[in-house]
Amino acid sequence: MTRLNGGLIDRNAPLSFTFNGKRLSGFKGDTLASALLANGVQLVGRSFKYHRPRGIFSAGSEEPNAMVELRSGAHQEPNTRATVTELFDGLEARSQNHVGSLERDLMAVNDLMSPFLSAGFYYKTFMWPRAFWEKLYEPAIRRAAGLGELSMLPDPDDYDRGFLHCDVLVIGAGAAGLMAALTAGRSGARVILLDEDCRLGGRLLAERQTLDGTPASDWVQSVEAELKSLPNVQIMTRTIAFGTYDHGVFGAVEQVSDHLLAPNGKVRQTLWRITSKRAVLAAGATERHIPFANNDRPGIMMAGAMRAYANRWAVAPVKRAGDGIAIFTNNDDGHRTAVDLMAQGAKVLGVIDVRDDAPCFGEYRVFGGGTITDTRGRHGLTAIEVTQHGSSTWHKVGALGVSGGWNPNVHLASHHRGRPEWDENLLAFVPGANGPVGLIPAGAACGQGSTAAALADGVRAAKDALSQLDMTATEIAVPTAENEAQAQTAFWHVPGAKRAWVDFQNDVTVKDVKLAHQENMKPVEHLKRWTTLGMATDQGKTSNISALAVMAELTGKSIPETGTTIFRPPYTGVSMGVLGGGDTGKHFRPHRLTPSNTWATEQGAVFVEVGQWMRAQYFPKAGETHWRQTVDREALAVRSAVGVCDVTTLGKIDVQGADAGEFLNRIYSNMMGTLAVGKTRYGLMLREEGTLYDDGTCARLGESHYVVTTTTANAAVVYRKMEFARQCLWPDLDVNLISTTDAWAQFAVAGPKSRELLSRVVDDFDISNEGFPFMGCAELTICKGLRARLFRISFSGELAYELAVPARYGNALMERLMELGEDLGVTPYGTETLGVLRIEKGHATGNELTGQTTAAMLGLGRMVSKKKDSIGAVLSRREGLEADRRRLVGFKPVNAASEVVAGAHLFTKGSAQTTETDQGWVTSACYSPHLGCYIGLGYLEDGDTRKGETVIASNPLQGQSIEVEVVSAHFVDPEGERLRD
Amino acid sequence: MTDLSPITALGAAGPWAKSYGPLSLSENTMLALTSLSLPAQTVVPSPFGLTLPEAGQSTATETHGAFWSGPNQWMIEGYGLAETDFAAVVKAEADAGYVTEQTDGWCAFDIEDASNGDAIQKLMQKLVNIDAHQFSPGSAARTGLEHMSVFVIRRSQSKLTVIGMRTLAGALMHALATAAQRLEA
Repeated sequence: MTRLNGGLIDRNAPLSFTFNGKRLSGFKGDTLASALLANGVQLVGRSFKYHRPRGIFSAGSEEPNAMVELRSGAHQEPNTRATVTELFDGLEARSQNHVGSLERDLMAVNDLMSPFLSAGFYYKTFMWPRAFWEKLYEPAIRRAAGLGELSMLPDPDDYDRGFLHCDVLVIGAGAAGLMAALTAGRSGARVILLDEDCRLGGRLLAERQTLDGTPASDWVQSVEAELKSLPNVQIMTRTIAFGTYDHGVFGAVEQVSDHLLAPNGKVRQTLWRITSKRAVLAAGATERHIPFANNDRPGIMMAGAMRAYANRWAVAPVKRAGDGIAIFTNNDDGHRTAVDLMAQGAKVLGVIDVRDDAPCFGEYRVFGGGTITDTRGRHGLTAIEVTQHGSSTWHKVGALGVSGGWNPNVHLASHHRGRPEWDENLLAFVPGANGPVGLIPAGAACGQGSTAAALADGVRAAKDALSQLDMTATEIAVPTAENEAQAQTAFWHVPGAKRAWVDFQNDVTVKDVKLAHQENMKPVEHLKRWTTLGMATDQGKTSNISALAVMAELTGKSIPETGTTIFRPPYTGVSMGVLGGGDTGKHFRPHRLTPSNTWATEQGAVFVEVGQWMRAQYFPKAGETHWRQTVDREALAVRSAVGVCDVTTLGKIDVQGADAGEFLNRIYSNMMGTLAVGKTRYGLMLREEGTLYDDGTCARLGESHYVVTTTTANAAVVYRKMEFARQCLWPDLDVNLISTTDAWAQFAVAGPKSRELLSRVVDDFDISNEGFPFMGCAELTICKGLRARLFRISFSGELAYELAVPARYGNALMERLMELGEDLGVTPYGTETLGVLRIEKGHATGNELTGQTTAAMLGLGRMVSKKKDSIGAVLSRREGLEADRRRLVGFKPVNAASEVVAGAHLFTKGSAQTTETDQGWVTSACYSPHLGCYIGLGYLEDGDTRKGETVIASNPLQGQSIEVEVVSAHFVDPEGERLRD
Repeated sequence: MTDLSPITALGAAGPWAKSYGPLSLSENTMLALTSLSLPAQTVVPSPFGLTLPEAGQSTATETHGAFWSGPNQWMIEGYGLAETDFAAVVKAEADAGYVTEQTDGWCAFDIEDASNGDAIQKLMQKLVNIDAHQFSPGSAARTGLEHMSVFVIRRSQSKLTVIGMRTLAGALMHALATAAQRLEA
């Protein structure tokens, strides 16, 4: 064990966990990383490309190395950062990306191959044969260079999403964030304070300093208590803001139960969309390292992280207690780590400071003007080579802390194309002035990194936010704190011949950056893609600035001239599960049920998804073993007796107003304003560019009252288009629209006995052919007083009606029709039979109205009235459309046993089957029980003049090619006598 | 009255109800709804004595209510009147307006909160992108909920009504119940 004294862990709450199957222990308050270090575990994984041994590098979400798999079975979670994983009793963790044991990874052979695996190696190496890339090279490379493994099982966890609103969102609860939240909270603003950590305090928890004379953690507790007492402040821990979006919206993920062994009914994570009037970005800063030869050994980590492990978690990051620790730095902050380690009782070898005039803040050795030029230690650091003024010496150490200065976390301020700006004094990028609107960076995130500066800057940022919101800020006392020494010198890497890692997670070295320069991949965006720098799951948080500093040095340009790559969300990895938002399986999306769904379910109907709808597809009876048997029976029953089908899904739009007729004249291509009260008319709607949009019926119920029906598929879009026309094109017309699709349950009652059946439900209504002729419509009552609507329209080609009642009575009406029609042979039918009947009749539906077909192609060219203007009418007459000579016709197979397939393309008999010779296509096809063979509808070149000709319907995808005879599209009752009877 | 027996939007004989901690969810199957829209320049009527509300607002008496649904357009509510010809009554009350029966176009769920509004706020945060804190009694909005279009009405500090499309009643009930149950957990 390498535990030190003190720390913010609860030593009364020991926790047991396993790493690679070995049982280890830690305490409540530990992270997996701190607990591993406390157990002397330095080696935690293998690197991405070279399979080099790797250890814990940081103490936060920037971690590039310590990626582990957590849990097991379906709950297995790869690529989890040990540094932000809260320890809990029973945690299972495993290292990843190795073949064999972690210590003896067989893939470590890659490291020996490293001269061949330089930047861009696979772009250069795996070029030919081309076909090999997908089948051979890529799978092999992915197997060799990967991260963790998925369980390949469905995710068993629940996820949630939600929406929050506030005046001031404070991102990060360190010194600046706490002061910002306190200032805004005391001033009465609605505040949300969030932090990715499980407790508030940020960097204050990692330091030994005092605030107002008390330990910083005590101060944090008192502030937390006050914030919790304020009803206008919401504190969200374990919540990370990952993206800045439009209008003050931020995406954040709350880890609700990731810190628990089992979720116990809770969701795992919640995706929050936070709408803020102003946001304070107090995201702190990330320390950067200094690349030097063999700087990737376990035991080498950020100096600031080392300090956090010592102070917060009471851990010395060495394998054996008593191993010496060295610090390599270009700045004063590195020395602070040495001072703190000594105060905690750790053994410090000294501080190697690149500055000749290196300061000293305690009783430790300083190697002024020194650098680290090499390291040793196979599975963990054992020695470092210190070079001072040309001479080198080896020193035994168990750990090395590296500090190359701090980079403000500008990420969220750099989304939305905000570009960070270089600060020459800080030697760092700070948020630019052109960042997202309403986002105010504060504290270390904008370069105010000393504790005293951060506290004051948090107040400043909150005051700015309040002032912009016209709110008065309450004056607040800033606690007294140290202004730590922060002097640094620009020093970006230690030159040398050996490999020095810049990006640990993607195994990118200084040499790779040099190679990219040599190969003219100089712009940072090219550098990134050529070397894969910053493209790993850590998105280069610890490497990007170092890499572009090296590139700047090579090109002779300044760092700001070199620039950064574009920042995009997410700031940190976000699971697909939480982005998906929760519901899976049948609740993945909402389903609409028809009014007779209960009855249909009781009958054992088979349902089909039609858009959002679940519709009865067919109603199998006992003894029917194939769906075709059922559909044939239903179709024959309709044509011989009577059938009932729930057609509620067709869109219904109530149109009222003094100008309703004129409005409909402009919406429909045919004349609608002349429709008499009590009559229904078939109508076509065109798209703006003249092709067919939708078809349906329009019924005139009153002087200024119409009901428009649409196809099921287009119900919403037709309504939307009509609203657009009403509000934007012709706001002067007195017309009002509202959907009534759901309000009315509507049933098609079709077949020669439909009138007889309906006569049994209507109250005192003359349903005779004379009293209620074809295309009539009426409001009436049925079943002893229920208000209803009756339309004499037919999709099947039979004598038919559509009957509508308030939806709550739909199910009972279906039951009643079945009961009253039993002696008539009434048969319920579903969408399959609906399709068969309309194909037999030659009626168009979505298959024929594809958005690329015209009224003329449907044989309804005269329905585009020339006596008035309507949407699409003028453009329907353009040359390109008018010249189209494809016409809707029917097809019967020459060999009655052959199957006509929808989608088959049509060719003149004997011609080659190419795109150039294509004559059209089959739009719809079915088996017709009335004709005893398959039939089809389709568009054929000059189809209206080719009846009797034999053409070829070809389906090359399935190797089918059959001869079909061109016939009328109206297979049944071409004269339309039945529906008028 | 007809001799046909109505069923609820969820396909049952009677309304659904369930409690989750302080939240009680219940389907209100007896809410009658009729849209009322006025041609421009029409004097705004006061059906059932209601002062038709401004955008984002609702109003109610013991027997009737109204909420804004668009420019010059409202939804008129008749409490307990779902099985009557409510549209005809509204037309009589507002003759100059265009009236469309909407009762069975929708399904309504009432959510009552024994904790006096805190749980309703938390539930709203999980369901709709509306600032629950600002959504004071009398507020009404049309918004998206789990890919569905709904009306949300804050009846009082401790009561919220969510009105969704009738054919989506099952999906809406699932969404409300799941959110309430997760809050309870």
